[in-house]
Amino acid sequence: MIKTILLGLILPLMILLVWEGFAIKVDNPALLPRVEAVFDRLIHPFANLLDTGSFVDHILTSAVRVIIGFLIAALIGIPLGLLVGRFVIFHRIFSPIIEILRPLCPIAWIPFAMVIFKTYTIADIFGVHYSTSIFGQIQLGMLFVIFYGGFFPIFLNTVHGVSSVRNIFIESALLLGATPRQLFSKVILPSSSPAILTGIRVGLGISWMVIIAAEMLPGSDAGIGYLIIFSYELAEMDILIASMILIGLVGALLSYGVKVIADRTSKWQAEER
Amino acid sequence: MSFLKIKGVRKVFTKDRHQEVIALDGLSFVCNEGEFLCIVGPTGCGKTTLLRLIAGLEPPTEGKITMNGQIISGINKQATLVFQQYSLFPWRNVIDNIAFSLEVKSINKERRYLRARELIELVGLSGFERAFPYELSGGMQQRVAIVRALAYDPGLLLLDEPFGALDERTRHHLQEELLSIWERERKTILFVTHNIDEAVFLASRILVMRDRPGRIEEEIKVNLPRPRDRMSEEFIDLHIRIREILERILSECERRQDV
Repeated sequence: MIKTILLGLILPLMILLVWEGFAIKVDNPALLPRVEAVFDRLIHPFANLLDTGSFVDHILTSAVRVIIGFLIAALIGIPLGLLVGRFVIFHRIFSPIIEILRPLCPIAWIPFAMVIFKTYTIADIFGVHYSTSIFGQIQLGMLFVIFYGGFFPIFLNTVHGVSSVRNIFIESALLLGATPRQLFSKVILPSSSPAILTGIRVGLGISWMVIIAAEMLPGSDAGIGYLIIFSYELAEMDILIASMILIGLVGALLSYGVKVIADRTSKWQAEER
Repeated sequence: MSFLKIKGVRKVFTKDRHQEVIALDGLSFVCNEGEFLCIVGPTGCGKTTLLRLIAGLEPPTEGKITMNGQIISGINKQATLVFQQYSLFPWRNVIDNIAFSLEVKSINKERRYLRARELIELVGLSGFERAFPYELSGGMQQRVAIVRALAYDPGLLLLDEPFGALDERTRHHLQEELLSIWERERKTILFVTHNIDEAVFLASRILVMRDRPGRIEEEIKVNLPRPRDRMSEEFIDLHIRIREILERILSECERRQDV
């Protein structure tokens, strides 16, 4: 256990060492800040940065955007995936359009989403203009892009999971008296749950990746992606690097969280291999 | 009383559009209530197809299958099938696999676990209630599959070479267990195998099937006293007789292919 952790620490420490070496040589914090300057930013997560709010504020704003967009993706992707994976007619209806939309990178949709949704927020939908609540920061265009990023991994993994349920399980269940509805809830769903959870994990990762790009565009004055651009404009490299490290950490944490849940519910599948 | 009637059954599969394969043709026999009927035949003679038709997983192309006078269409609710390959639900532990059929009948947990525990005990798997299929050996998995089928309480239990993948010792052991289940629960069993020894040891009647197309070649009543002794003269005679029938079928089949 300790050995695993130590082995995992070798490369990050080496990167820090090389970074510190270059930083000392360059000797210009606007180009490459010292490790300890960035570290100092990270240990003060509640400090107000550049008069825009703290790291925690920005991360939370980004997280709320991702959670809402991602939930919409899951709420549409999973049921649709179940239908497409199970019924040929749905497969025939949906697969051409999905094959066309899938290769389009979510980032390619950002300009389009900005034009269509402008800077409307969730608060605008509910008619609360000039809202100071967090909903005033949830832009519809961003939600669309996050949804788009999260949808395909969830949908495609669900389709794959459902269509690869072994026939012998379906026939066994029918011969033991299961009705079509019970077949769905007691065989098809549990059998494909490992694949669905993989889709959720990958989808959440992509949603998180995409939000950062979305926040770099105009229309927002909060979020960790916004903070990166803003600190770039003000040549605050220590905040910029600290933000990047935080994005990586939060992404890893999200992925790990889903993995823990997935491993618990799909232990049988891991052991079967 | 004839309980299951198969009359003039033909089953044709269409392979890559035009090529047709006749799996079964002119197949007729009856199975009586309480009987242990074994069907022996060369590999690929349509034994599995026959069981799938009786289970209602597929319809016959021609002919009629009736059970208690009712024509089978759709899943046969009076029968259940134990597959040759492992078919336990890998996401359910032993007790929940066995209780599956009771769960879909909405029997409460306490009552279905009571029954499942009885069945677990019947096949000597006490202590494995919470184990998952991947934690069990092949023999244990097939035991669970058999009692899972028993929990459904079918009038007819169909078994498709359930011990085919097991080593000989385990297979003999499970054969004895299956016989004691049959004697205790008074089930009608239709057991398909290509193993002659297995058929002679288990059956009260044996049907020998031929292939291309599959149909019944010969019927043999087995009146040996139970428990049967594999070393007894009668056992060995019967074994040899069935072997000769099968060899004849195979050589005829080869001759036909030469033409």
